[in-house]
Amino acid sequence: MKFLASLRSLCSSLFHRKHIDSEMDEEMRLHIQNRADDLERSGFSRVDAERRARIEFGGVERFKEEVRETRWETHLDSLFRDFRYALRSLRKDRRFVGVAVFALALGIGASTVVFSVFYNLLFNAFAAKDAGRLVVPVIEDSETSGEAYSLWTSWADLKYLRERNHVFEDVIGFRTVRSIVQDGARMFQFDGAWVTADAFEFYGVPAFLGRGIVSEDGEAGAPKVFVLSYGTWKAEFGADPSIVGKSFVVNGEPRTLVGVMPQKFRALDPWKELFAPARWNPDAEKNEGSKFRLLARVKRGVTFAAASAEFDVLAKQLAAMHPKDDDYPKKFSARVVGANDYLMGPSGAGTVFNSKIQLKSILYDLLAAVLVLLLIACSNVANLLLARATAREKELAVRAALGASRRQIIWQLLTESLVLAMTACTAGCALAWVAMKAVDGAIHQKTWAGMSGEAAVGLNGPVLMFAGVVTLMTTLICGSAPALNATRRDLQAQLAGNGKGTGDGFRHGKVRAGLVIGQVALSIVLLIGAGLMMRSLHLLTHIDLGFNPKNILAAGFAPARSIDQMPDRAFIASPEGHARFERVVEKIRELPGVVSVAVDNTFPGYGPSNGPKVTVPGGTRVEMAGLDECDENCADTLGIRIVAGRWLSRDEVVTRQWATVLNQKLAHDMFGDENPVGKQLKVKDFDRWQNELQRSFRMKPEQIAPDATFEIVGVAGDVKNAGPQQPAMPMAFIPPMITGDFIVQVRTKVDPGLMMHTVQQAVWDVDRNEVFWIFDPLSEVLDQHTYATPEFGVTLSGPLAGIALLLVVIGVFSVMAYTVSLRTQEIGVRMALGAQRGEILRMVLRHGMVLIAAGICIGVLASFGLTRFLKSQIWGVSATDPWTFGAVAALVVITGLAACLLPARRAASVDPLVGLRYE
Amino acid sequence: MTGQAQLLPGTLDLLILKAVSLGPLHGYGILLRIEQVSRRALLIEQGALYPALFRLVRQGLLTASWGKSDNNRRAKFYDLTPEGRKRLRQEASDWNRLVAAMTSVLGTQPEEV
Repeated sequence: MKFLASLRSLCSSLFHRKHIDSEMDEEMRLHIQNRADDLERSGFSRVDAERRARIEFGGVERFKEEVRETRWETHLDSLFRDFRYALRSLRKDRRFVGVAVFALALGIGASTVVFSVFYNLLFNAFAAKDAGRLVVPVIEDSETSGEAYSLWTSWADLKYLRERNHVFEDVIGFRTVRSIVQDGARMFQFDGAWVTADAFEFYGVPAFLGRGIVSEDGEAGAPKVFVLSYGTWKAEFGADPSIVGKSFVVNGEPRTLVGVMPQKFRALDPWKELFAPARWNPDAEKNEGSKFRLLARVKRGVTFAAASAEFDVLAKQLAAMHPKDDDYPKKFSARVVGANDYLMGPSGAGTVFNSKIQLKSILYDLLAAVLVLLLIACSNVANLLLARATAREKELAVRAALGASRRQIIWQLLTESLVLAMTACTAGCALAWVAMKAVDGAIHQKTWAGMSGEAAVGLNGPVLMFAGVVTLMTTLICGSAPALNATRRDLQAQLAGNGKGTGDGFRHGKVRAGLVIGQVALSIVLLIGAGLMMRSLHLLTHIDLGFNPKNILAAGFAPARSIDQMPDRAFIASPEGHARFERVVEKIRELPGVVSVAVDNTFPGYGPSNGPKVTVPGGTRVEMAGLDECDENCADTLGIRIVAGRWLSRDEVVTRQWATVLNQKLAHDMFGDENPVGKQLKVKDFDRWQNELQRSFRMKPEQIAPDATFEIVGVAGDVKNAGPQQPAMPMAFIPPMITGDFIVQVRTKVDPGLMMHTVQQAVWDVDRNEVFWIFDPLSEVLDQHTYATPEFGVTLSGPLAGIALLLVVIGVFSVMAYTVSLRTQEIGVRMALGAQRGEILRMVLRHGMVLIAAGICIGVLASFGLTRFLKSQIWGVSATDPWTFGAVAALVVITGLAACLLPARRAASVDPLVGLRYE
Repeated sequence: MTGQAQLLPGTLDLLILKAVSLGPLHGYGILLRIEQVSRRALLIEQGALYPALFRLVRQGLLTASWGKSDNNRRAKFYDLTPEGRKRLRQEASDWNRLVAAMTSVLGTQPEEV
């Protein structure tokens, strides 16, 4: 009721202001009359009495104003008035408004985009319900103090965890199953996840088409179903909605496709293409491959620390139940990690082949960068406002003289800034919306290590709120300096002045110069940061890997019966397995578009990091070296350089002779500068390395002594075998005689992505049971793991730096133009006294360049201090790289000069007569 | 103007509440009553009465209604609401406490310390 009453009073006072005013008038008039009556009675004449009464009462208007001020509606009212006035006065000055709104819109827009990326990737990365409470249980070996890894448990242990814990709402499990899907004559291989049947309900993301997996699907006897990911549905089935409900053969058994998940459903594992409910199967329990990875949701109100403590206890109970299980180290600690932290952290998907450049720190950098950008935009607008306030000095002085209080004038000026900022906010949000579409598209175009792929970069609630807060902040930052400045001065002097601000104080000019210097300095910091990231990315993508990853399709396959495991070595090593493998390789080699095919046993470039100890017969130096089993085509196909001697011959490979090619590192370590070709390399305990696989490797050459001696036939250039950023490790290439694991490297004429189907079909023509356990274009793997994150940093920081530069140009230009217009009279006098145009030009340019030079000095000094925070995000380039610093300084000098040039030319073309008369 | 005391800030509201508590009054009447009761010892700026009255009405301590005054003029009469009455009691007792405290402080003799 009270609320209603006050609402009514608000309405009535807003709409019946006149009425209330007149009532007040009436009341005061009556008071004065009453008083006059009394005075008349005490002997004054009527005229005197009335005069006296009015004097005694005091200023009616003043009290009326006081009454008005006691009502809060008045403030609203005066706010509206200020707004109207601000709009009117801004409309008169379109060019100013245009520049100010443009600068602010860029600033606000850019910060909104970056905040959206930051917030949505770091704090809103999962589409799951209550994603903030999703955790991954991890376990860490206390003895090796290595990285924490996700715990894998059997079905029974998962049940144990579920039943015994008090901290999780639920725990679900999922595991990878490479799946062959047959649809009539067509055949596909997908990366599948077998999930506990409640996993989809737990995750809480509704299906895009049809339905997700439900608990009932896991019951014995329930119809067998599966679900596809959006990307697979689109790429492989042409986004055909009618396939939902169809039956397919998945890994040999019929299953019905019941649904397609939305595009942003990727969190169980970003790479999964197919999902099916897992059923408990006592036989499967014994099988290592049937273990589950876990995902849990912490109960509302339970801290991660409390959940960790309990999980630690439970994990130790499980470890005690399985003393032989190597998933549980002897001494370990277990805890839970927030799902996004797990994914982004060093323990997540980002570990393999990682560029060690973390998305998280890049996001923080970007946020810092964009706040700097915003500051530049603000100082730009503050400068414009200052200039405008100077030009309006007289207007403000008149207002003050007419009784506007200082507070009122400050409010008025702040309202103007607010109107500007709000317009800019609207424009900025529109810009941001467009930019976010692009960023969102770029992020979800490919799958990245370390990113859930579910984040929706867009204008959602928190982002809009951020934009609002930024707008208010901008208003205060931009508006307060000019507002305070405008009201601090001597009324008399301003009224007497010509209103153009020619009497512009020394201090005032200093503030503007300071703002320009600050802008230049800030932009230098930003540009240097972005420059360092760019240089780092350039270096990273131009590392000489020692092989050519372009147009290589890497395929490793295994017979379907070992579907969850590494290739069945026994079979591959058997004569029939070998023959079949040869047939497959031949078949691929014959495909049109295939240049060459090679077979080796590692992923090129990420070769074996450790191996047996090697030495030179009679030598003393002993070293660990990786051994890579290669065929005769490896060097050609992968583009490995031969430095000395030759590569392995076909004969050596087929008959498995003791021949080897060293990499440069090993050759240098063992033989110094001597040519090792023709010499020997001794591999210690070679049989032990071999023996581990003896069971399956039946085609090995005759048994020999534990140490093996290889004839060195050549030296190959170093291949980056320990990750692209690491120096090459010692390595020797030998004929296949150890493992029996092979990866087929196919060099194609065209984009290997286009060849994938053909290659797959060729393999299945030979053997329909073949399953690929690796099947990827090599450059794509490199991209996802090594280049994507730094590239992301550059794609965002590059435009930010560009915008910063643009803002600086605007800032320098507007200040110089303004200074010139203020000094027109002075310039006119100088010219009248004989100054040449060139001198005037130089004078103005000098003035501008002094500001820019000061800004550059401060900016470079600040950068020296600040870029060290970038150290972990850049590679191969020092945080104080003189080239980057120099290039940025030069860039700013050139653009700054360009920005000064136009005002300087205008100054030089001043007509002395006009200049002298100029007011 | 000797013998007249300047009002302490904030005391005008209390004076108005007290004056009105003795019976509904219009603005000028309030002024007269305060002058009369205080034996002209308190100086009130006449115009300042109105912002104060307005404020008290907004706070719900007074009600205002138009009526006829003694001399048959239209006038706005103010009366105390129950809330106003409560406030008056409260403020009066606060005031008395303050005065007592001040008096005892100001009346302190050197030997008492």
